[in-house]
Amino acid sequence: MSSAAGFRLARASVWFAGRAALAGVDLEVRPGESLALVGPSGSGKTTLLRLLNAAVLPSSGEVSIDGRSLAQASPGELRELRAHVGFVHQDLCLVPNVRVLANVLAGRLGQQGLAASLRSQLFPPREEIERAAAILERVGILEKLYQRTDSLSGGQRQRVALARALYQEPRALLADEPVSAVDPARARNLVELLAEVSRERGLTLVVSLHDIALAREFFPRLVGLRAGAVVFDKATGEVGQAEIERLYSLEGLELDDDGRDGTA
Amino acid sequence: MAATALPESRRVSGRGLVLAALALAALCAWLALDAPLTGLVPREGGWDVARGFFGHALRPAFTYETEVPDGTSPLLLSGLAAARRTVVFAVAGMSLALVLGVLLGFLASSSWWAQDSGGRKGLRQRLGPLVWGSARVLIVGMRSVHELLWAVLFLAAFGLNTFGAVVAISIPYGGTLAKIFSEMLEEAPRDSARALRELGAGPLQIFLFGQLPRAVPDMAAYTFYRFECSVRSSAVLGFFGFPTLGYSITQAFENLHYAEVWTYLYMLMALVVGIELWSGALRRRFVA
Repeated sequence: MSSAAGFRLARASVWFAGRAALAGVDLEVRPGESLALVGPSGSGKTTLLRLLNAAVLPSSGEVSIDGRSLAQASPGELRELRAHVGFVHQDLCLVPNVRVLANVLAGRLGQQGLAASLRSQLFPPREEIERAAAILERVGILEKLYQRTDSLSGGQRQRVALARALYQEPRALLADEPVSAVDPARARNLVELLAEVSRERGLTLVVSLHDIALAREFFPRLVGLRAGAVVFDKATGEVGQAEIERLYSLEGLELDDDGRDGTA
Repeated sequence: MAATALPESRRVSGRGLVLAALALAALCAWLALDAPLTGLVPREGGWDVARGFFGHALRPAFTYETEVPDGTSPLLLSGLAAARRTVVFAVAGMSLALVLGVLLGFLASSSWWAQDSGGRKGLRQRLGPLVWGSARVLIVGMRSVHELLWAVLFLAAFGLNTFGAVVAISIPYGGTLAKIFSEMLEEAPRDSARALRELGAGPLQIFLFGQLPRAVPDMAAYTFYRFECSVRSSAVLGFFGFPTLGYSITQAFENLHYAEVWTYLYMLMALVVGIELWSGALRRRFVA
């Protein structure tokens, strides 16, 4: 299913309203690799993930997905790149007042023409329903297939968002703070699920996490971000406690009004 | 213990100023109208009319007040038939208005035209302001003329034409629906649209499956409300001779059959209340 989705950032910077959300980031992610982005609020984790999804373009520097540079991509090529990278948003971004099925099937919109997408959203053919059902079964909420999305709990909606991303049949899976809305026990389950499905399908997995313990448990590689720059990037075993403490120290950090990553 | 220093607050509150200005405007309007309360006291002979009319409020008619030609259907039946025609005019007008409202509302909403497709400006963004601007001008034109005025215009142009009456309703109603729909589309949360954009969906797909569904419950609720209004408008069109409840009311009024007038008025009220109850129930299902 996955053929590549490797990422390469070279001196990549992203500016929002005169402020650097990312400043000169170098990063290489090999296909099939899994890593966690850690760092305090506003350190640029979300922006970095959005770069990997071609949702934002670098203000300067180079970003390439499977060797294709974002800077030279046409709108159509950008859409194609996005279609093959699954993204689980922090606030999920599902359509609340439609059935779970419709949200999952929406994962393919980037690979369908208008007519085909109207058909699968309004009168989904049997094979599409079966494919969506198989994914919902894998993430553990098959019985919710025909329920309205807003009748689900936070943890269940999280799984719908994951199912939508998997329905894209992506080459890479990105997740932005996937555990911010659930309790600690469910958080662990969810990160475990992300790691498992990525391994099963050979997907590249990049997850931003506040929770260092979870990051250490499930990811072989940690990338520490602070104030838009990479401060460490190494195998999890080599990241010491002192480095983590320095990463999160409040010294020299601005307090954001909303306490979140400064992304638009 | 020293008092905590409060963050600075403006001395003169803006709210007070706005309220004072509104009150002043209202006062000026009344003074300019020069409408003394004595205007409500009926003129000579007016007392009789007023007494006759309001005296029948509790005694509506169940049969015609005077002899009618043989074969005339009973009062209550003809009232029901007029009520049915009132609803039919409203439904026909609203169905056309809904088509106009959805189309123009879509065109007038910037949420489709302004979507960026990643960097460069495409044909859509360059054409956008033109189409979007002209749709808004058209909507203002449709809305600013009342349905009764449209009815008078069509009456003058085409005579007593049923289609003209329906179009007279659907033009201003279509304009109002379009304006409100476009605002609802713009105010609907954008997060799902953003997610679809980020999985590679095209502009029209984003609009149809990410933006539109978020606005549909509000759009449906508002359409039901406007339907209620259109029933009243359709009744009033009867004053120009279209066979709705308004026509029955004017006829009875001109013949000084006040009891019949009340019968028809109560039918109209029952109709509006019934539709309100029904649309309220539907609205609760849609929005909740």
